[in-house]
Amino acid sequence: MPDFEPVTYVIPLFVALVLAEMVWAWKRAPHAYEPRDTLTSLAFGLGSTISGAVFGGFILLVFLWAYQFRIFDFGPQWWAVWWAWPLCFVLDDLAYYWIHRVGHRMRWFWASHVNHHSSQHYNLSTALRQTWTGFLTLGFAFKLPLVLLGFHPVMIAICGGFNLIYQFWIHTEAIGKMPRWFEAVMNTPSHHRVHHATNPRYLDRNYAGVFIVWDKLFGSFEPESDEERIRYGIVWQLGSFNLLWAVFHEWVGIAKDMWRAPWRHKLSYFFREPGWSHDGSRETSAMIRARWEQRRRAAQERVAAENSIAEPREAA
Amino acid sequence: MSFLIQIGGSLVAILVLAWLAHRLRLGGDARIRSEEEARVLADEAIHGFDPVAIAIDKAGMGALCRDRQGRVLLLRRHGSHFASRLLDSHAHARLDRSHLTLATSDRTFGSVTFDLGSEAPAWAASLRRVTG
Repeated sequence: MPDFEPVTYVIPLFVALVLAEMVWAWKRAPHAYEPRDTLTSLAFGLGSTISGAVFGGFILLVFLWAYQFRIFDFGPQWWAVWWAWPLCFVLDDLAYYWIHRVGHRMRWFWASHVNHHSSQHYNLSTALRQTWTGFLTLGFAFKLPLVLLGFHPVMIAICGGFNLIYQFWIHTEAIGKMPRWFEAVMNTPSHHRVHHATNPRYLDRNYAGVFIVWDKLFGSFEPESDEERIRYGIVWQLGSFNLLWAVFHEWVGIAKDMWRAPWRHKLSYFFREPGWSHDGSRETSAMIRARWEQRRRAAQERVAAENSIAEPREAA
Repeated sequence: MSFLIQIGGSLVAILVLAWLAHRLRLGGDARIRSEEEARVLADEAIHGFDPVAIAIDKAGMGALCRDRQGRVLLLRRHGSHFASRLLDSHAHARLDRSHLTLATSDRTFGSVTFDLGSEAPAWAASLRRVTG
């Protein structure tokens, strides 16, 4: 059985690429990095590695237990079944898409995933800004169908590792757009900038990990537009570089909201979408986006009306 | 043991990269220099927020924006960007001549002191109408 953790081997490459992007920022875009933000993001990465080492073993045990109930059996030398690897990688990426989508649409999952979005910068250090509390969301349950299909938990872990490695390079403003065929199939810096944006038109879009086709298939795709400057981060920016606050702020927010809410609404603050409130005092992404669309339509209608008035009429 | 070496190595790399970002003076010096800039930032903070009154800190470290509904948005510098909160109470406002100190019920957001010049007393007085 292969004992291989791909992410471990590429950490030096990650460091070298962050360094290279910093030099690019120094020459071309000094605002792309901010020292305290970089420190926070990288500390997130380190904490996430420790958290993963502590709780990853538990998840592996759950998967190994579930593996005995598999439908298909690739045999004792499952790692030698070559075609199982690409198949597992694609299906793992599909599972990632749904974990990620739920991560944005349910506050319980968002409390963990918000960590990755809480920087107002978008650079390679942001890619390493990973959660410490992923195990609390039970997101790994989305990968259980793969185990039940017969993919060995170690194969799933290795594919997941390569998925994570792929997603590193797309966290940059240094790359514009890739060739059209690549943009059509793969997740790219352009597609993922959209995902990290808080502009209303981009909210809750492009959840893909490696293949952008999932977003196109499930109706969550939005291309990057040249019309407006992208604003990164979260709807209410954190406004703090305090690492522990950055890690736990949404969990604290959920606890406070549940404490204050009437009994019948308490669980909704856990299971419903971020921004939901029982008294309508806050806005969800969908509400912000709807308001933006309404304003855009009104502006377009106004322009169309002005144009029709300004157009000279033909003589009867 | 190898895990501890990996953690130690990562920690050193993190500190070196953050130090380098500091040495290269990355991040720049973000300031609000005009009402137009404050207006854009306010709209980015709350989509459709349309200020009818704006007061900018003399050093450009932040601004106060009031809309038609009487909501007051506090913009303050955060690194090389800006972060904002709606003022939810006047309880945290303190006036000292031209300087107005403000905070919100979100304690982690911290308090800010703006030099608003001669506009400070009028803004301080108007904040009494702000309630949560």
